[in-house]
Amino acid sequence: MEDQVTQFGFTEGLVITLVGVGLVFFTLTLLFLLFISFTYLVPIVMNKINKPKQIVIKKDDEEMVINATKVSGEVNAAIAAAVYHYMAEAHDEESTILTIQKVKKAYSPWSSKIYSVHGSQLNR
Amino acid sequence: MNTKRLFIVFGAIATIMISWAAASAAGLSNQTIGEVTQAAVATGAPQDFNTLAMNGLMNFMSMTGFANLTLPNFVMICVGLLFIFLAIKFDYEPLLLIPIGAGVIIGNIPFVAGNQIGIYEEGSVLSYLYFGVEKGIYPPLIFLGIGAMTDFTSLIANPKLMLLGAAAQVGVFLTFIGAITLGFDLSEAAAIGIIGGADGPTAIFLSSKSAPHLLGAIAIAAYSYMALVPVIQPPIMRLMTTPEERKIRMKPPRTVTKTEKILFPLVGLILTTFISPSALPLLGMLFFGNLLKESGHTERLANTARTSMIDIITILLGVTVGASTQASVFITTSSLKIFALGAVAFAIATFSGLAFAKIMNLFLKGDNKINPLIGAAGVSAVPDSARVVQQEGLRADSNNHLLMHAMAPNVAGVIGSAVAAGILISFLSYFQQVGGM
Repeated sequence: MEDQVTQFGFTEGLVITLVGVGLVFFTLTLLFLLFISFTYLVPIVMNKINKPKQIVIKKDDEEMVINATKVSGEVNAAIAAAVYHYMAEAHDEESTILTIQKVKKAYSPWSSKIYSVHGSQLNR
Repeated sequence: MNTKRLFIVFGAIATIMISWAAASAAGLSNQTIGEVTQAAVATGAPQDFNTLAMNGLMNFMSMTGFANLTLPNFVMICVGLLFIFLAIKFDYEPLLLIPIGAGVIIGNIPFVAGNQIGIYEEGSVLSYLYFGVEKGIYPPLIFLGIGAMTDFTSLIANPKLMLLGAAAQVGVFLTFIGAITLGFDLSEAAAIGIIGGADGPTAIFLSSKSAPHLLGAIAIAAYSYMALVPVIQPPIMRLMTTPEERKIRMKPPRTVTKTEKILFPLVGLILTTFISPSALPLLGMLFFGNLLKESGHTERLANTARTSMIDIITILLGVTVGASTQASVFITTSSLKIFALGAVAFAIATFSGLAFAKIMNLFLKGDNKINPLIGAAGVSAVPDSARVVQQEGLRADSNNHLLMHAMAPNVAGVIGSAVAAGILISFLSYFQQVGGM
């Protein structure tokens, strides 16, 4: 009797195992296929949605046309480096003029100097 | 260092086994001092002030932990202390082991049942906190945080690595079969098998649904083996791969656009939950958390999910899972079988991940070939197993960095084990309906 119960559980377990492994593979394979197709589809669709913007730069009477949607990694790196240097070196030349500003504070007995000068005598 | 870790952990398990055997053999747990004193109180008739005071005192004594201490309780308190020691001394998953260790001590302080103190008593504070574990509330919230901290970029860049995450789930199902042959019923076997998914929250979620009475043991096994990933995996990795294979360099992943990053959680959510709706709480929260991160407009929410929120849940989960190991429920032969099966589950999962990576290599050519080591990262212990792959890769070739590549099967493993849990849940409910169990 005991053996029969175990045997019954085992066949069911085998079914679950085989179908389960199959289903896990199926799910992730589907996800894999979708994203493989995305690799090709997304750039095409996105290009259709955002029509390539062209930026025209004028310098020394020469015109440069840049395709704004297709900026290469090198260009990005160069821009980032330039911005970084600009930000990092912004403090190299600082003004040497010192100004002392008087800060006005609202009076409060908690911060009043008079109490600390006189100590507890004032209260008597 | 690693052998020392292995020695300490298995030493601890052996200690539990031996003391459990000793306790059951000696029959020490049958009558405590508390029961003796209570019996003494019951026989004495309260008359004057002196006897009343004496009886009151005796009654108080019978309520103290000292009076009710049993050997299994004492052993479990020592285990709790050992966990805390390991976490502090060896920096061994301290974020988990300290809450769990403290929980083990809390759960095993002896008390007289019936005063709404214990975790298994209705109406006690601990039982309310444990409610989140019992009903599977905490795991999805943890998954929300995991989603908000996981970067799926490497997986999107190389989607074929998703299959490695599926391959490692073979470990779950083979352990499931193994547990059935060891005499567990279907729902218990499912909860034990999922330890091979190497995913603490998923294991807790599934066992809270299918085998609540084994939850403590399964959670402790899952978390301790996750901590043992750096010990369990490397020997199997070396056994399964040749030195040449370990030196394979993979080409750097392509850049992934923001649109793809936003689409991934959406597509993943819809697709995986349509196939396996039982895993909805886990996968829904995982992909939702990732969407918060990638959308770029909900940084505040993502930040809370991956920091404060996951921390709060980890604290509650750790303490209550620890406290659920009350000796009377925890120290059983099934706990020991679960520990053994858990180790086997991890080994099989690693093995099948590596084997599948080698099979994939048969079909891949040139620089598309993958380093089979990353197959081991298909078990979803994020990011421990990816880190192990990185270390093994560096050992073979000190300039070969595999971490980014290994993260892909690693996060795919998280999805895979949640899907596997969902499939197991739906099968179990089917068999319950049929009445075949």
